[in-house]
Amino acid sequence: MVNERTPLENTVGDRESWRRIWRKLDNPVIAKELRSWMRGPQAIAILTAYLMIISVIVCIVYEISMTSTPNPASDPSFRQSIGKAVFGTVVLLELLLAAFIGPALTSGAVSSERERQTFDLLRTTTLSASSFIVGKLGASLLYLMLLMLAAVPIESLAFLLGGVGLEEIVISSLMLFVCALFFCALGLFFSSIMRRTLGATVGAYVVIVLSAIFLALALAMISMDPAFNATQYAANVHQQTLWLVVWMLISTNPILAAVFSEVMLIDSQSAISGAWGPTSISLNLPLPWIPMALLYVYLTILMVLASIYFVSRPDR
Amino acid sequence: MSAIIEIQDVGKKFGNHQAVAQLDLSIEQGELFGLVGPNGAGKTTTLRMLVTLLRPDRGEIRINGLSVLREARQVRKLIGYIPDVFGLYGNLTVAEYLDFFGACYGIVPDRRRRLIGELLELVSIAHRREDLVDTLSRGLQQRLALARVLMHDPQVLVLDEPASGLDPRARVEIRRLLAQIAERGKTIVISSHVLTDIAELCSRVAIMEQGNLVECGTLEQLSQHVTPLRRVRIAVMAGADVPEIKKVLTSIQGVSNVKMEESAADRARLTFELEFQGDDSELHQMLGALLERGLPVIHFGEVSRNLEDVFLHSTRGIVS
Repeated sequence: MVNERTPLENTVGDRESWRRIWRKLDNPVIAKELRSWMRGPQAIAILTAYLMIISVIVCIVYEISMTSTPNPASDPSFRQSIGKAVFGTVVLLELLLAAFIGPALTSGAVSSERERQTFDLLRTTTLSASSFIVGKLGASLLYLMLLMLAAVPIESLAFLLGGVGLEEIVISSLMLFVCALFFCALGLFFSSIMRRTLGATVGAYVVIVLSAIFLALALAMISMDPAFNATQYAANVHQQTLWLVVWMLISTNPILAAVFSEVMLIDSQSAISGAWGPTSISLNLPLPWIPMALLYVYLTILMVLASIYFVSRPDR
Repeated sequence: MSAIIEIQDVGKKFGNHQAVAQLDLSIEQGELFGLVGPNGAGKTTTLRMLVTLLRPDRGEIRINGLSVLREARQVRKLIGYIPDVFGLYGNLTVAEYLDFFGACYGIVPDRRRRLIGELLELVSIAHRREDLVDTLSRGLQQRLALARVLMHDPQVLVLDEPASGLDPRARVEIRRLLAQIAERGKTIVISSHVLTDIAELCSRVAIMEQGNLVECGTLEQLSQHVTPLRRVRIAVMAGADVPEIKKVLTSIQGVSNVKMEESAADRARLTFELEFQGDDSELHQMLGALLERGLPVIHFGEVSRNLEDVFLHSTRGIVS
């Protein structure tokens, strides 16, 4: 016998299933974290400082651009180039600040619970380690998103001046989101393995600084290879390999990836792939933002899983 | 009554340090159970193993038949834990704090709202509902911690040093509150250094030393174990015939170790303390013999041995 439901039963059933889905998504840690942050002066102080830094630097970029052109009114592409400069500056600053603020937000996520001695209480509840970690990450990410949204009015100056395409907006937003996620996960990972917040913060920043130094050294070493800059090079494979390695290295750094993606985007007019390297080798590769995003998402997943593991295991 | 907590042959080592050597313990449903012992005796380690925070190296712990090792998530639904440090979020309000923990136990919002009201009434801090947790006194924070552990209606409450840092009034109030909670059928396991609290609250006490259980039973059983002799205190009016009293007392069978105490604070009376082996009717006969001789008895009573005596007798004061 087929049990047919009345429209009223359907509506009630739908509502109940929505409620069930909402209950699954409703993470108590996110609400608690956001409540705690927004109540203190720290959140407003960070937001104010963040907007002030971006505003001041954008003003400087705008002023330099204005003074560098002798007769701005007569140059038709002038407004567009200023728009691009403003947009690029805001995105790069947001990327830098995500790298700086992200780990700071999460490096105390687990360790501060240990220091406050609330960690044990949470572990004796039925809250799973994954909900706890996802909640901590989600709250930090939401706060970083708030910072990025707060910068939209400054960014919109670029839209007013023109010169910024839809692809650039989509790519930069995606990169910002992935970077925010990655740097928050980095802080969270260190927080889950360290007993103290200070140690976790130092650990996360040391990784960021060391990876930047390693990248700079690696790029410097490659650029010193005569084959790298040769215009007519017999052993083409060696030069190709060097440019491929540079592309890979650039793809590990969000700022370099953003800059070179923009250069390739302008050259090739494609948001996906473009010509890379000197004309003698003409490599056709994906824009660096793609491998960068994939790598950062992969590392984020690894760090989140490791954090869940470290949080869930009982004391030894 | 059936055992709700069963600890069988449990041991726990931290490096070379044996925190719990071998522990076998059974706690009945609805019992108020006290765990005492000197520092480093293994009390906190035992409690942490009980609440799934520590993994025993050996043995088995079961709560309501569920293994804390293999069914930790199920066990967590049955237990409520207050560590020696309450663990509070100072920048949440009292209601938000409870709501957060309620949500952590998966309690739906409507039920959480109702429970918060009820529990704040129970622990008498409903008037501070919207205040930040940081603004509460230590006594009120302890009440809030108690409300927190009751949010998911656990069968077993595990409290590590619940009276630590509280002033005398707050301690008495917490004791009353715990007794009230126990009346609701909850099993309460308390670890404390304050022996008077344990003696007053708990129906059964376990004494631990160096990771071992040295004594376990009701206070009466433990006292019996220390010495089977009863201690009797008799007060007579000052000026009474002391040799006659001593003669009467020593002539009674089972009486030993008669001592006279003269209190500087109360010169109107003389106090005798003695040890006695006999039942209540023989005790009654002793009182009769004193009154028959016309001795001016103004107080006659048995002195119960306190937990402190038992504790000092059972432990050697060795700190691990």
